[in-house]
Amino acid sequence: MKFLVSKDTAPTPLLRQLMTAVTVAMLLYMLLDVALHGYLIGLSPQAAAQTLYGNEEAFVEPILFESLLLQVHIDLFMALVSLLIVVSIYLRMKHKEKVRKGLLHALFLAALTAPLLLIAAYFGGSFWLYGWIGAFSLWHLLALFVGTVALKRLIAS
Amino acid sequence: MKRYPRYRIPIGYMLLFSFFIVASGLWLFLLPQGLSETGSLIATMQQLVKSPAPKSWQQFVEIAAPHLFAMGTLIFIVAHFLLFSTKISRHFSMRLSLWLYIAALVDILAYALIIVGIVTTGWIKLAVLAVFTLLFLMLLAAVAVSLFQ
Repeated sequence: MKFLVSKDTAPTPLLRQLMTAVTVAMLLYMLLDVALHGYLIGLSPQAAAQTLYGNEEAFVEPILFESLLLQVHIDLFMALVSLLIVVSIYLRMKHKEKVRKGLLHALFLAALTAPLLLIAAYFGGSFWLYGWIGAFSLWHLLALFVGTVALKRLIAS
Repeated sequence: MKRYPRYRIPIGYMLLFSFFIVASGLWLFLLPQGLSETGSLIATMQQLVKSPAPKSWQQFVEIAAPHLFAMGTLIFIVAHFLLFSTKISRHFSMRLSLWLYIAALVDILAYALIIVGIVTTGWIKLAVLAVFTLLFLMLLAAVAVSLFQ
């Protein structure tokens, strides 16, 4: 068994193919994750507020805190695993160039604060929901950008 | 980890994510044990030791199955970074990861002992949970020390 000692993916077509496939899977996951949160919580401040606080006029019960905390717990794990995969491939594909550190910091910080802001919105009021929507949108957009750059490099290599 | 400076950003954030995953997991576990009613951590732990919240086999499996996958994966992801550490000894890393896996397994399966009726109090679950949390925090600290050496 020969282990990889080079960061160059050109002489290892199987690795390149595997990295391309997992990047495509992660990009699709991130797109569907946006849709999933649209259904579960809502992506507008009004829809999210209705999920969190309920709506007496529409006979909508507020979400149970246990359900919200479970969603946050799952979101943190899924975001961590998906971002580690995408960012590792991105860094590997850019090993000969400078990386924009600010981009990676913004990506990880937004992904980390989004679920925490959802908890803050539950206790602190609808003001925090704007923060959640902003952080949630930002980390998904940045992750899609990073994934697309990595994918472009993989296809071109 | 001096040879991989650009990987410091994802590894550093991984430590923060892991901390919040464990914290939210603990909160989630303590809520039905009485934390939602009493609001006091000490009172909840006393209640857990005295009379743990009843759970069915279905509830046990619903919790145990994803946690076997997620805890096993997370320990592996975090602990494998100790392979690149020049600060933490290989012997310590091996011992820590082994005990962490054992603690995770016992922690996940501890509630089965309560359901079966082998133990009627929740002290075993609380003790194993505390040991697992302590060991996991030690692992995070070991990776952090290696990262910022």
